[in-house]
Amino acid sequence: MAKSSVKNESSVKNFLYLFIFMMLIWLALTSSLHWQELIVGCVVSIVITFFLNSNYQPLGLPSLNLIKIFYIFIYLIVLFIEIVKANFDVAYRVLHPKMPIKPGVVIIKTSLRQDIAKLILANSITLTPGTFTLDIKKDKLLIHWIYVRSENIEDSTKLIGARFEKYLGKIFS
Amino acid sequence: MKKFFSLILLIIIVVGMIYTIHQIPFGKNQSKIGKYFVANGKDETGAANIVTSVVVGYRSFDTLGEVTVLFLAAIGLGAILTTTKKQNHDIEKASLILNTGCRFLFPLVLLFSAYIFIHGHLSPGGGFQGGAVVASGFLLIYLACPGKRINKVGNTISESVGGLIFIILGAIGLFVGDRYFLANFLPKGELNTLFSAGIIPIIYIALGFKVGSELNSVIDKMMEES
Repeated sequence: MAKSSVKNESSVKNFLYLFIFMMLIWLALTSSLHWQELIVGCVVSIVITFFLNSNYQPLGLPSLNLIKIFYIFIYLIVLFIEIVKANFDVAYRVLHPKMPIKPGVVIIKTSLRQDIAKLILANSITLTPGTFTLDIKKDKLLIHWIYVRSENIEDSTKLIGARFEKYLGKIFS
Repeated sequence: MKKFFSLILLIIIVVGMIYTIHQIPFGKNQSKIGKYFVANGKDETGAANIVTSVVVGYRSFDTLGEVTVLFLAAIGLGAILTTTKKQNHDIEKASLILNTGCRFLFPLVLLFSAYIFIHGHLSPGGGFQGGAVVASGFLLIYLACPGKRINKVGNTISESVGGLIFIILGAIGLFVGDRYFLANFLPKGELNTLFSAGIIPIIYIALGFKVGSELNSVIDKMMEES
């Protein structure tokens, strides 16, 4: 009896989570607070949430609170800085007359468990020029690197993944 | 000699086109009917989007024909692609990146398509565009999660219901108000709000479902064969 009530509570929470997410997107799309838009937005969000909620939960989206939202902002700033830095690095390699590249494929490890967290990590690595995620297999990421500094798994994890994983781990803890 | 002839032919074509085109005043409304739509479309149909007032207001019977053409195309494709032999391919699993990304995006794609066809009478877009977006969402799922199939019964039901709503609304117009097929018998409301333009938004929502399901069935048949 008690078990089922706990389950109900979490399913209500999950329902609300996707519903509020959909509603926020709807508000952004319509950019209006007219009562008609709000009613229609609620109806559409409820219908979509009702049908897709069960498929959405296994993704492992983080439960949000103020600290996590703060870390999301920090993460965006870190990502931006890393992208700018990597851009300069690749531009240097392109413009240098000797073209100092040493391309190769390395494997890095991640301690993130949720699928969505791995997706964000992989896409962040792809977004920074010079590194490119080819595939994810369980806790290992296959990465193409423009200048392979180390073939050792631990070292390349530190060089490529750790700078993002530090904050992603906090968001998805 | 050959080059000389082709040069002369080219010059004749270019001069001819310039001669024909320069007589058409650029950027001016030529047809009387176009002027009429621009001047009266808002008041007569209640839709803030003039294109919609033409497509689902003045020429909604034509739109019904277009949907029927799409329906026939889907059926024809089914007839061509249906094979008796069932081959069993080894389906390669999509990578986790594609799979997770598509599952994350799918509800957003559906929400966006709903936004497009619900706001068809206010902003660019409408039933056809929204339906195409729905189908693109399902295509994403087909590519990312091999082995998943749409619910064929549900798909057929949503297609039929969409078409039926269109025709029933049109038929009601035969008896109420102005008494012609697809007459706009509902109150037109305040211009540029969501609940305006009478039957136009309802028809567009029905169209969105119908076009979406039709394109889904096309995708389903294509993926079954691949």
